[in-house]
Amino acid sequence: MTAYIIRRLLYMIPIVFGVLLVTFCLFTLVGGDISVQIAGKNADAETIAEIRHEYGFDKPLFVGYEPLVDDQWKEPTDPNVLASYIESPDGDDTIILNDYQRIVAIENAKRQWLGGLFKQRLSDGRILDAWSMLDFNSQFLSHFKKAVTFNFGRDRERQKISEKLLQGVGPSLALTVPMFIGSLIISISLSLIVAFIRGSVGDFVIVVVCVILMSIPYLSYIIFGQLFFAYELDWFPIYYDPSRPMAVSVVLPILIGIIAGLGVGVRFYRTIMLDEIRSDYVRTAFAKGLTTPKVLFKHVLKNAMIPIVTNVVLSLPRLVLGSLLLERFFGIPGLGYLMIEAINSRDFFVLNAMTFMMALLIVIFTLVADICYGWVDPRVKFE
Amino acid sequence: MLKSENNTGRLFDTMKQGVKQIGWLAVCLCGIALSMSGCSKTDTGDNTDEMILRRRMPTKLQTLDAGNMRGVYSMEVGGQIYETLYTYHLLKRPYEITPLLAEALPHVSADNLTYTIRIKQGVRFQNDPCFEGGQGRELTADDFVYALKRVANIKYLNQNWSGLKDKIVGLDDFREYTKQFKKELDVDYSREVEGLKALDDYTLRIKLIQPWPQLVESVLTDILSSPVPHEAVEHYGFDIIRHPVGTGPYRLKTWRRGCYIELVRNENWRNELYPAEGQPGDEAAGLLDDAGSPVPFADRIIWRVILEDQPAWMLFMRGELDATGIPKDNFGEAISQQNMDLTDEMRARGIVLKSFDDPSVFWIGFNMADPVLGKNKPLRKALSRTIDRERFIDLFFNGRGHVAHGFVAPGLDSYDLEIARFGYSKYDLQEARELMVEAEAINDGPIGPLKLGMPGTDTFSKQYGQFVQRQFEKVGVMLEVDYMDWPTYMAELNKGQLQLFCSGVSAGAPDAIDFLGMFATKYFSPGGNKFYYSNPEFDELFDKAEVMLTSPERMELYRKLERMVMEDYPAIFTTHRVSYVLHHSWYKNYKPHVFSHRTSKYRKVDVQERNGYKQRLKELKMQEKMAK
Repeated sequence: MTAYIIRRLLYMIPIVFGVLLVTFCLFTLVGGDISVQIAGKNADAETIAEIRHEYGFDKPLFVGYEPLVDDQWKEPTDPNVLASYIESPDGDDTIILNDYQRIVAIENAKRQWLGGLFKQRLSDGRILDAWSMLDFNSQFLSHFKKAVTFNFGRDRERQKISEKLLQGVGPSLALTVPMFIGSLIISISLSLIVAFIRGSVGDFVIVVVCVILMSIPYLSYIIFGQLFFAYELDWFPIYYDPSRPMAVSVVLPILIGIIAGLGVGVRFYRTIMLDEIRSDYVRTAFAKGLTTPKVLFKHVLKNAMIPIVTNVVLSLPRLVLGSLLLERFFGIPGLGYLMIEAINSRDFFVLNAMTFMMALLIVIFTLVADICYGWVDPRVKFE
Repeated sequence: MLKSENNTGRLFDTMKQGVKQIGWLAVCLCGIALSMSGCSKTDTGDNTDEMILRRRMPTKLQTLDAGNMRGVYSMEVGGQIYETLYTYHLLKRPYEITPLLAEALPHVSADNLTYTIRIKQGVRFQNDPCFEGGQGRELTADDFVYALKRVANIKYLNQNWSGLKDKIVGLDDFREYTKQFKKELDVDYSREVEGLKALDDYTLRIKLIQPWPQLVESVLTDILSSPVPHEAVEHYGFDIIRHPVGTGPYRLKTWRRGCYIELVRNENWRNELYPAEGQPGDEAAGLLDDAGSPVPFADRIIWRVILEDQPAWMLFMRGELDATGIPKDNFGEAISQQNMDLTDEMRARGIVLKSFDDPSVFWIGFNMADPVLGKNKPLRKALSRTIDRERFIDLFFNGRGHVAHGFVAPGLDSYDLEIARFGYSKYDLQEARELMVEAEAINDGPIGPLKLGMPGTDTFSKQYGQFVQRQFEKVGVMLEVDYMDWPTYMAELNKGQLQLFCSGVSAGAPDAIDFLGMFATKYFSPGGNKFYYSNPEFDELFDKAEVMLTSPERMELYRKLERMVMEDYPAIFTTHRVSYVLHHSWYKNYKPHVFSHRTSKYRKVDVQERNGYKQRLKELKMQEKMAK
């Protein structure tokens, strides 16, 4: 098993690398240089250059400039030529470039030229010459370095992203862990009951209730919970109150999260339990005279563990990232809230960091799920 | 089907055992999760005898750096941390300038060009690690010089420079000089500026290029001129926006961005007293009960960032916020439509209503630098004609507002009572359609989709955006609405990146010159002119008006300038707000003040009354049940 885990951990390296490549493509290549957004379209060239430098947009993407190559580079000056290297933002055919467009056009021209040179050297078999062009201070490598060291730099408000993430993890977990555990215990317990009494009026009622619970929009639970349980009955705080312990502020959102998720959970686990209950070994167990609880808990639940574990373990990364709606409407300063803030303020730096974290957690928890399969089902062998 | 009563009983027993075991594990995990939330560090607030002002912040704050502060929300917080040389009297109306950090009103030379100001002695900055030994040092005249030079520093990308441009002798040259540096802190602030001098530790002299009667009202009461210690700027660098260091009655304890802000008393605050004079009626209203008492009264001020109106309303009704505006959806619950006064339910709760004309104006602005909008006056006029302002005010403000026929707010001296007759705010779809034909001709084809920047992502903002979309659709103009949070909106607006934008301003001073300044070319964004409106004739007259002393000629000139702008339709001016503020009876010394954000030190809470509010609510509910 140890060898299996080590092997899987090694497999994770190219996966994480792939994730980094995808996030880099999404946020840097597709998203483009956002220095103009930060500086403003009326900013002077110097300001734009400073911002580009601060956020590293002036670095090469992958391929860099060795001094020899740099000497051969000739910067285009003809506005018509430069204009061909940029996309006109408004479909405007004008060739009067502003400061920002000129900077971007020159860089694009240089990148294209370097890319061509790099390919040329490869096709000529000059591997070493091509290798010498790789720049270890490129945008991709700094993206890679930031992710690996979890030092994601600063956001658009110039706050350290890693600090923000760290601050948000606690409140998010305070909300999502109890919500998840509560939801899991109640869902599995109820699903066992309904599987046991399947076909009865009780089963029918519970399934109908589950469908109703699933049909109600999440926001309605929140508004009803705030209005009735917090405002009318005064059982819980209406909104996160920094002058009280966090535990007090998260009780109502936890309950809302559990109730809102119950419909889906019970229906999902009920299906799994029913599939198992119909199996031959269950009939055999009953024929041999085993009691119902023994059959259900010792045999059915155990055999149903594979889909349960898959569902549970793959839900875990989402716990870290919090609950967007609950955090927003209850003002809980978790990562879900941070994500909404980042979207509203177009903070691609934070979104990039959170996307990477999410991807990384999914990769890690997929491995955990695989390991758990062996733990819950002895038939699974690690090879 | 597996059914048997015995089996069911055993099933539940077994389940109980299983749940018990899992329960312990679950409790442990939940405990770990909760402990990670940092709740143990949080002040429990159980000490209910502490006087805390509890407030709502409807948006994320942009900055707490005085030199770059412009938004009302930042000023609401910053106003308690920073102080200026002058402020407006808390109670006196018409508003009266009163010294704050200055000893007295300035001594002005006969040619109105030199202002000499004596500064109070013994004023100390708050304690902060930026100072040697962490102890705040004494404020000197040099700190004011530094603050104003800092605003002039071009490398300190702030939005307040336009207020000082072409005003103080040598300051524009200083700005030119700063261009050569790479960073803000590279600039040598000891470089002399002739018009800005500390004659000694307690005397400041300001020399103007030409007379500028609004110097005190526009700059010396404005937070941009607040003294900021150079030690703090050097120590915190970029992070100065999160580490305000001032001389005010409060200092920042916690700022969790997007969540809450907490201020506590400044230990170094000097002994200042509650005003002993007011207006007739103030005494009867209890506004002079604390005359002569040392301020501030409250130990702490807490703002909770609550983006949506509904939770804020519920918190107010539950007594967890001291004061609030009235969300449009709760207006009927709070205000009786018959007499526009509080409902009986509100009175029974001890809630008090204060309503007043806020000298403000709100608009949907056009970016005149935009190639589609800037050169197409018929288009701007057509879009203005599509907005039924009265319906808009009814829908979104429950009638709490006046139609904005111009942009100078009612309540200011130069408000033009005749402006309505010019028809700038007319709602006329027929005319709008006719204008659109002209507009399309200028545009060489149909008008493509326009984009509106909306400051807010809450329900109100979304409904507002949808309303404008529907109105523009009536003349065939498609509108895309871009919702964003307040700091992002301000950043985009200051950079001129928004094609259309929803904004508004409240007067910062009783003079309307700031409203007119919103259209002067020299105040292009990040200054006050976010419209990029430029009209040489206007600029020439504005320059003249800016240096004129109060007179009927100046008032006439103001009105002429207003009409000149209105003729060009650089915005759809919609509303002048009428503010309705509710507060609980325990919230004392509240008198609406439209020009100052430095009033929290006078606010007081009757702690006993507030602590008894929940009991009172229970009794009220019981009474309601009995009545039913």
